[in-house]
Amino acid sequence: MLRKEINELLTETDAGKPMGEMFRQYWIPALLASELPEDDCPPVRVKLLGERLIAFRDSKGRYGLIDEFCAHRGVSLWFGRNEEGGIRCPYHGWKYDVTGQCVEVPSEPEESGFCEKIKLTGYPLIKIGDVLWTHMGDKDNRPPEPEWEFAKVPAEQTYTSKRWQECNWLQAMEGGIDSSHVSFLHSGSLKSDPLFKGAKGNQYNQNDKKPVFEVVQSDGGLMIGARRMAEDDHYYWRVTPWVMPSFTMVPPRGDHPVHGHFWIPIDDENCWAWSFDYHPTRALTKDERQAMIDGYGVHNKYVPGTFRPLQNKDNDYLMDRDAQKRGESYSGIWGIAMQDASLQESMGPIVDRTKENLVSTDNGIIMARHRLRKAATALRDKGEMPPGRTPEHQQVRSASKVLPSDQPFKDAMIEDLTVRPGVKQTSV
Amino acid sequence: MFDPNHPTMLGSCARAATAAEAKFRVPYPNSRTRTSRVFALDQGAAEAMYAITEAPWNDAHFLTLANTSPVDPEATAADALPLAHPDGSQASLSDEIEGADVVVLLASRGDNEGAAEVIAREAFNRKIMCAGLALGAGKSDTTVDKVVNSMRRFATVLVVANDDDFIPAMLTALRA
Repeated sequence: MLRKEINELLTETDAGKPMGEMFRQYWIPALLASELPEDDCPPVRVKLLGERLIAFRDSKGRYGLIDEFCAHRGVSLWFGRNEEGGIRCPYHGWKYDVTGQCVEVPSEPEESGFCEKIKLTGYPLIKIGDVLWTHMGDKDNRPPEPEWEFAKVPAEQTYTSKRWQECNWLQAMEGGIDSSHVSFLHSGSLKSDPLFKGAKGNQYNQNDKKPVFEVVQSDGGLMIGARRMAEDDHYYWRVTPWVMPSFTMVPPRGDHPVHGHFWIPIDDENCWAWSFDYHPTRALTKDERQAMIDGYGVHNKYVPGTFRPLQNKDNDYLMDRDAQKRGESYSGIWGIAMQDASLQESMGPIVDRTKENLVSTDNGIIMARHRLRKAATALRDKGEMPPGRTPEHQQVRSASKVLPSDQPFKDAMIEDLTVRPGVKQTSV
Repeated sequence: MFDPNHPTMLGSCARAATAAEAKFRVPYPNSRTRTSRVFALDQGAAEAMYAITEAPWNDAHFLTLANTSPVDPEATAADALPLAHPDGSQASLSDEIEGADVVVLLASRGDNEGAAEVIAREAFNRKIMCAGLALGAGKSDTTVDKVVNSMRRFATVLVVANDDDFIPAMLTALRA
């Protein structure tokens, strides 16, 4: 249970709101690099943290993320002409560069310098890995560029997708740190999904549906360990890292690529679920990459030409009650990503947490909310920068391992939970 | 005829998931008052606990050990565990734990594993979830490890909190 005012504090991310200001202290994923594939390509509408923006790539390959609307008469620059080093409003020809600076107002004498007085809000947009990242906060307090492993490994080792999720970011993100639902909601997919099946760890998951949890604070967020019974006085551990504000990783299975997510607010009632898969030491196989494109694992199928999932609330997520009855799909929804998203969207745009009844196994979620609240209020009240901004906090991995029952994961798995270039993930 | 593969109202999720429809979620309580029992296993944990006992909790009882002598779990029956309420009055473990929904163990030193075992044993016998909260504020890693190890065998959920503020946050979340 969360009091109404704390629920609002954590879920509202417009500018000026405590959590909105907190998100503005980080580099966050804004677009897939493939959305702006070449110089002078069409601009893309982007809405982030409640701000309507336009992204474009100019004639020299520079990326820009600026206010969507022309300063003159409020026309959307999505209709603009991306040409000769800037985006030009098609209404009266006002032109802006990648910083949002107006560089041309054709109706005014060039010598008047009028255009220098016109400046749209602009944010940096940088390409790291398959992702274009932005920082929407104070440029004098910009964090170091992101160093997440999935974005830094060679291109052939990684794959990233994004999907529109029609609910608040927090209820989506909380699914990413809730390890206990896997044995139920995803039980069918553990047996059939090509990016999950076949791992020995899956048997431990299936055989022990009452994991014991250990929640440990890390410098950047949390490490949430779920342990299940294994053989002979051993435990099977699955450890989920959460880095503030909204980065989560799924513990790996066998030699399958490692998955994870960013949960980024579009506005208070919508978010982007960014999903990545990578292998630290080898290229993804052709079959693995195809499976990701086909929507398996943490990815999904799309309404063609959009980032909206093919299974969505307008078609009841293509609910298949027969598959549910046969045990192929615990909820009747196809695919791991949409199994989660369908339930999270069903909570409503912003779930009313005053009505929830958490239990002790929800302590990962409770602690994450606690840390978010403390960080957001410390930023608001004292100007303290929140955790998770620095590369050191981003050098995390998820891991799964069988340990003797007397070994705590936080000691026995320190190296496994840290990025080690050239060393593969620890996985069962 | 009803076809289970096809919902009776195509696209019903679209309407159901709107903010407008969320307003119609039934306003009545969906749970009864929970019975929570919180045990501070050492002086540091007791002080952190005392700081919050005056808050308006539902049916939470806060208990401390009346003395700090080590407890031999094999030789200590439930009601031989010296427990006290915040006002100093004596408490019986059996009475306190009977009918509880959750037991929370608080520890900051890790030197009373025996008491943790006696309490957890009673919880286990009654099929009550037992959560352990290791208070790590200002403690060295070695001390925190000791605290965690003192509860690891007994807790179905173990949390290491680096600030004591987490105690009320957790208890509020659990509707204690």
